[in-house]
Amino acid sequence: MLLKKTAVIFLPIILLGIVISSFIYTANYASTANIIIPYKKAGFTEREAAAHLLNKFTFGPTPTAIDAVVKMGIENWFKAQLDGKINDDSLQQILSKYDALLMTNSEVLAKFPRIPKVVKEAIEAGVIDKSMVKNNEVDTAYAENNIAYKQTLQAFMDKKGYRPQKELFRQFICKKILSAAYSNNQLHQMLTEFWFNHFNVSLTKNQCAAFIPAYERDVIRPNVTGKFEQLLISTAQSPAMLFYLDNFNSVGENEAFAKSKEKLQKALDRKAEAAIEEDPTSTKAILTEKLATNKKMQGLNENYAREVMELHTLGVDGGYTQTDVTQAAKILTGWTIYPMAEDGPSKGIQKIIDRVGVENLQAKGFVHQQDFLFAVNRHDTKEKIVLGKKFAAGGGYQEGVDLLHLLATHTSTAQFICKKLAIKFVNDNPPAILINKMATTFLATEGDIKQVLITMVSAIEFWKKDALTEKTKSPFELAISAVRATNTNIIAPFKLYQWITKMGQKIYAYQAPTGFPDKAAFWINTGSLLNRMNFGLAFANEKIPGIQVNLAALNNYHEPESAISALHIYTKLILPEQNVTATIKRLTPLINDPSLQQKIVDAANTSTSIPVSNTDIEENNSSMEAEKLSKKIARKNSKNTDTEMSNTIENNSMLAQVVGIILGSPAFQKR
Amino acid sequence: MSSRKSFIKQAGLALFSIGVGGVPSFLAKAAISNKIIKPYKKKKTLVFIFQRGAMDGLMAVTPFTDPYLKKARPTLFIDATKTSNKNTLIDVDGRFGLHPSMAAFEPLFKEKRLAIVHGVGSPNNTRSHFDAQDYMESGTPFNKGTASGWLNRAVGLMGHDATPFRAVSLTSAMPRSFYGDNEAIAVSNIADFAIQLKGNKIEAANAANSFEQLYDETTSALLNKTGKDSFDALKMLNKTTIKNYTPTNGVIYPNSTLGNALKQIAQLIKMDMGVEIAFAESGGWDTHFNQGTDAGTFAKNAADLSNCITAFWDDVAAYQDDITVMTTTEFGRTVHQNGTGGTDHGRASCAFILGNDVVGGKVHGNVQALSTENLADGRDLAVTTDFRSIFSEVADKHLKINDDKKLFPDWNGIQIGVMK
Repeated sequence: MLLKKTAVIFLPIILLGIVISSFIYTANYASTANIIIPYKKAGFTEREAAAHLLNKFTFGPTPTAIDAVVKMGIENWFKAQLDGKINDDSLQQILSKYDALLMTNSEVLAKFPRIPKVVKEAIEAGVIDKSMVKNNEVDTAYAENNIAYKQTLQAFMDKKGYRPQKELFRQFICKKILSAAYSNNQLHQMLTEFWFNHFNVSLTKNQCAAFIPAYERDVIRPNVTGKFEQLLISTAQSPAMLFYLDNFNSVGENEAFAKSKEKLQKALDRKAEAAIEEDPTSTKAILTEKLATNKKMQGLNENYAREVMELHTLGVDGGYTQTDVTQAAKILTGWTIYPMAEDGPSKGIQKIIDRVGVENLQAKGFVHQQDFLFAVNRHDTKEKIVLGKKFAAGGGYQEGVDLLHLLATHTSTAQFICKKLAIKFVNDNPPAILINKMATTFLATEGDIKQVLITMVSAIEFWKKDALTEKTKSPFELAISAVRATNTNIIAPFKLYQWITKMGQKIYAYQAPTGFPDKAAFWINTGSLLNRMNFGLAFANEKIPGIQVNLAALNNYHEPESAISALHIYTKLILPEQNVTATIKRLTPLINDPSLQQKIVDAANTSTSIPVSNTDIEENNSSMEAEKLSKKIARKNSKNTDTEMSNTIENNSMLAQVVGIILGSPAFQKR
Repeated sequence: MSSRKSFIKQAGLALFSIGVGGVPSFLAKAAISNKIIKPYKKKKTLVFIFQRGAMDGLMAVTPFTDPYLKKARPTLFIDATKTSNKNTLIDVDGRFGLHPSMAAFEPLFKEKRLAIVHGVGSPNNTRSHFDAQDYMESGTPFNKGTASGWLNRAVGLMGHDATPFRAVSLTSAMPRSFYGDNEAIAVSNIADFAIQLKGNKIEAANAANSFEQLYDETTSALLNKTGKDSFDALKMLNKTTIKNYTPTNGVIYPNSTLGNALKQIAQLIKMDMGVEIAFAESGGWDTHFNQGTDAGTFAKNAADLSNCITAFWDDVAAYQDDITVMTTTEFGRTVHQNGTGGTDHGRASCAFILGNDVVGGKVHGNVQALSTENLADGRDLAVTTDFRSIFSEVADKHLKINDDKKLFPDWNGIQIGVMK
């Protein structure tokens, strides 16, 4: 009765509260309807503002982009980018050939099994000769045997319809390159990369690798401008993250576990006693340590709990302690993966599910959502305290959700996330006043990423005229911006990937959960800088297979009237609205030296090609064919342009040289 | 940095920083291409080799007198005395024997320059390659979030000026050990350290000239400084020497990933490029199937490892006093062989440390009899020496880095005396 009465009294007040708060919400953080970007106040022309936004929120301006942004209106363009709903049919058309990218995690496991699984099946099916595996006395015939073994395995895979995992990753990498280059929703592409890197998982960890394409597609991409909390929960429940940071096998204290653990502990104690008896001096300390280790490792795994605070939310100085980490780990015990493929991961879980019965899971306290499972039998049932907040005993699944809510809406998180965003979009040391403005919005809107970005762009600190292109492009950003700046046609993206790797960014393969450090000093060192320059040269000279650069088309096939005018035109096309005086001044003598031109032509005529070394994810034949095709097309095109422009080889070669140097120049390394 | 600048002047490298419209750099380069430039003074060098895949330490260095091991490995055990037509182990101390494919190590061991540490591993009992390598390379076995690698921290702790080649990894991607704030480079082929354009040398040389000037003039401090360093470095790397490299003493390196990496490390050392930490990798150690005995997968890998290291050692004969080579692997393998003629993921393995300041000719560590009660989790060679113990001792004694707390934050600092 009392409860009911209270509810009656308070209900109107609560309702009123909602009305008021939503009123405040709409007043300050309206949809995207009335964004005011203070570029004029900061002394920017419309074109300069457009260039600034394009540098910050896209993978680089295309030659016509500034005109398009100006035509659309600065604010409208930004709004459309935030919404991310611009038609991308032509990109989807290009991507449609990558069939693996539409698969669910279960389908991926079924189609792209890991080799150990294939070997096991092949042995079971009697396809692999027992003697091949069992014979230990491998002699000189070993090499041949090994090839035969591989061929047999390949034939077995073909028969079963299995495909090698590296093909899945190749498709995934190609998709990233093509999407970044050609999507009209550039901001969403950038944010997808940003949040992926923030919640980093890595292809280098075999166990989680197969789940990474779906992780980006289903967990990261749909949430990039939404609520931060949603991103956090989605990543926490994703197979990729559960494997990457080991939470999938974190088991907590409860009655059932206590029993089996007690048994184990007794056995270990007995073992220790026996050993100490045997040699009391040397082994005691070791055994004590061993026991402590065993205790620590069997059951609770703190990796995810630690990183979710240190890297995903609060930040390393966010005010949590080791006790908070352990307590949070206990809250998240039982957060694991729903079994997908037979004998896939979570074999143990499958047994439990079979015993409980799928239909009874919910009633027993299990929670099953897509690939996620809250396994109540593994959950720590005791009371926990994290950051001073009490989580009552027996909280089950909900206490994990509550914990993530606590973390997602914490003031430290607001600071940490907003600083990271400002580092991404402003510079390596963003002003505190800007971070504070963003953090205020973050807290007031419960972590609405879209609103935080609006606050950032609306802040006068974002529009500092003297410091426009302060960010150093990552190798990936550099490569994609070169494609975009020159309207390059990517026929086969894989060689670009190899160049990006060579320049120091092996995408999707940063091993540590920190993600790639977002600062210039990480990207720029002597080796990587030379590779950036070499990339510029190779790119403009079409020495990267699978890309088709048409420098003549870039200037609408208007032949520049002189080499000098070519220099001016192309520098401005590639570095729009930037101060290019120094670059032009430096390149002028190069162009004016006729003997050098002749030397270049001579050298070009006697050119031989050297193969570029492959990285570990190899191309398949179809992409090689595509590259051959692209070369053919490229050659044909350059012939056409020769006649159309009546351009000499010298000029084309000189043009490629000039563009190559622009792409490798300091100015083009910045955004 | 100041010492380097003065050197550049001495060597006449100022020639290269030519003004607008001046002599193209390729001409100037050609003019001095035969000169061998030795810009930096000799430095102590640590060559760190990561054996990825987890080497079976019990097969590499076998406690052959252990009756349990022989029983646990009915077809994998190799004897130290000739019983069949198989090659036997190389008995080093009456208890341990080197795998027959590692015969190249025997003289170095006898000369007391090569030490073996057995029972080495991580206190974290993970048996995942990824996790174990990650922990070993970050140097923090219970913390995944450590942003930096231990060798990068080592670079930071050396506390003196350095060259762009101070920390160099002969791999295509930066290894986890090198992650961090201090400059490190990863390059799989040092000949790539140049401005190059496939099939067009003149254009490349020309572009190099333009790039050098553009970077020299840029207002971005980082790009400006790194640009200078890059062009200095590529001038110092003598291309002719690299291309026509002949190792000392008629040494022939195995044509393998590790062989090629070590050969290039030797070149950098001999060109006095200022290498202080070099990183290389050796793969194929994950022998679940068909491990083999005196021949087979393991034997092939063991031969490659030992032959590469000894080739390197002979090649750098004149520099040996300044070099220590250390191997590591993420964990060892099960004491018992499995059903497919191999071994599965275990705990401790062994490490090889080579150098003139190494306490060599000895199998260090504390390997117990392999009876079940002595085994980790009842199945694996127990970790009796923490990998941080030997990493920190080598860093301390060879590179004079004695700040254990920064190098290995949670480490107790106990050393085992593997270095003099």
